[in-house]
Amino acid sequence: MRISRSFFCFFAFISTAWLATPAFSGDFPSDFAVDPAVVNMTLEPKVVVNSGKLEWVPFSRDLTPWVSLSYEDKRPAARPRQVKLVEPLQGDPVRGRELAIARDKGYCIVCHQLPGEQWAGTVGALLLNFKKHNYPNELVFQQIFDSRVFNPISVMPPYGTFGILNEQEIRDLVAYLQSLD
Amino acid sequence: MKRALPLLLLLAATAQAATSAPAPYRQFDPMEDYLPHVKGDMSLSGSYKHWKDPANLDWRMAGNPEENWKLNWKFMDPPFNASVHGGHFAADRGEEIFHELNRKAGRTGKFATCLGARKGNLKGLRSQYPMYRKDLRHVAGLEEVIEHCAAKEGRELQNGSYDNSAVSVYVASQSTGMPIKINVTSAGPLKSAYERGRKVFHARAGRINLACSSCHTYQIGLHLRGTVVTTPYGDVAHYPVYRTRYQLQSLHLRFIECNLATRTQPLKPGSQAYTDIEVFLTGLTNGYPVSVPSERD
Repeated sequence: MRISRSFFCFFAFISTAWLATPAFSGDFPSDFAVDPAVVNMTLEPKVVVNSGKLEWVPFSRDLTPWVSLSYEDKRPAARPRQVKLVEPLQGDPVRGRELAIARDKGYCIVCHQLPGEQWAGTVGALLLNFKKHNYPNELVFQQIFDSRVFNPISVMPPYGTFGILNEQEIRDLVAYLQSLD
Repeated sequence: MKRALPLLLLLAATAQAATSAPAPYRQFDPMEDYLPHVKGDMSLSGSYKHWKDPANLDWRMAGNPEENWKLNWKFMDPPFNASVHGGHFAADRGEEIFHELNRKAGRTGKFATCLGARKGNLKGLRSQYPMYRKDLRHVAGLEEVIEHCAAKEGRELQNGSYDNSAVSVYVASQSTGMPIKINVTSAGPLKSAYERGRKVFHARAGRINLACSSCHTYQIGLHLRGTVVTTPYGDVAHYPVYRTRYQLQSLHLRFIECNLATRTQPLKPGSQAYTDIEVFLTGLTNGYPVSVPSERD
């Protein structure tokens, strides 16, 4: 009788402790530049000339859902994720190109060269004439979804795992790349 | 009582387990070894040979957008850059505030002493920051100490504010040309901060999963759109800096700009993670002269 009651308390304690960990329950780390009262909670500083006060204004995006550099931030980061592409691809290459250039979507040109784009980055592999490599759709899809599966220290953003692009958007990108003669 | 004992013991044990829970999963770039001296860049990017003598830079490289990264943008620093810019106005404003605070009736010289000046002499002070502060009980950068010491004189100079950075520019300008010298190799709080900073520098974070090192260690000299990635060595000698497209910017405000650009939630100036990165980067600037007032685009 005594044992069972103790065990009940033990499990009750453990389960509440686990439930409390994953996301912030309203309390952000004390060193976060945030204002929970505004829509995009993330703040950016505004330096006011000849003033001893630093002003803060809402940033254009909410960045609180992702792991930060704060020591108080105990959320785990998303691990590499392997996915399976179900064919047919059914991607739209025109939409794919728009996503490749859009700042808040693929923005591939920061690192990669794409046809018709000036000031391309040189960090990533050349994507001109992509079709000639004959990569299977599945491989290209996984590379965009989460490239860490192929290379654990890849610097390419895990677009799928981190929720930057949804599945259809990645399909569109694959279709666009596979169309580059 | 007898009944409650095992229950209490169990609760204590689970509480213990909760506090020593394993660290959450984080991704790190491969931990590079760095030399805590500016010449360490010769085994990283090799660009140091082009900018080690700030008075004699190759002006042809400065004018070439494909090559100016090799000068680590030092052509915007004094003495090579002799133009007058917003950094000089900040230094003047900082001097004014510094003397105002340092000449308070009955407390003459207290502000300078609080900052760490010996006999009121500011020469060489900037080269020793960040340092361990007994009164704060942690390692702190110059701007955090300015906020702390100004508060003692009854004035609010928030870390990152224009006036705080202006005082910092003035104090630093008294050390222009003197090499940065912090000891991050002897056991102590500064070495611990350096090691923590090195770890944070390699920690992936944010919406696009990047660490500082993802670009500034492993992609130096490559293009990211219109910009070319530079070395982390020798980079903190010119802060706070006048940004022509922004305003006076302290190093921690620069970190915030980096975080926002890589879509990572920024931290407040003076936060421990930022101070640790500051110590790490200052270690990598050891031996390079303080270059203030300076400007960047």
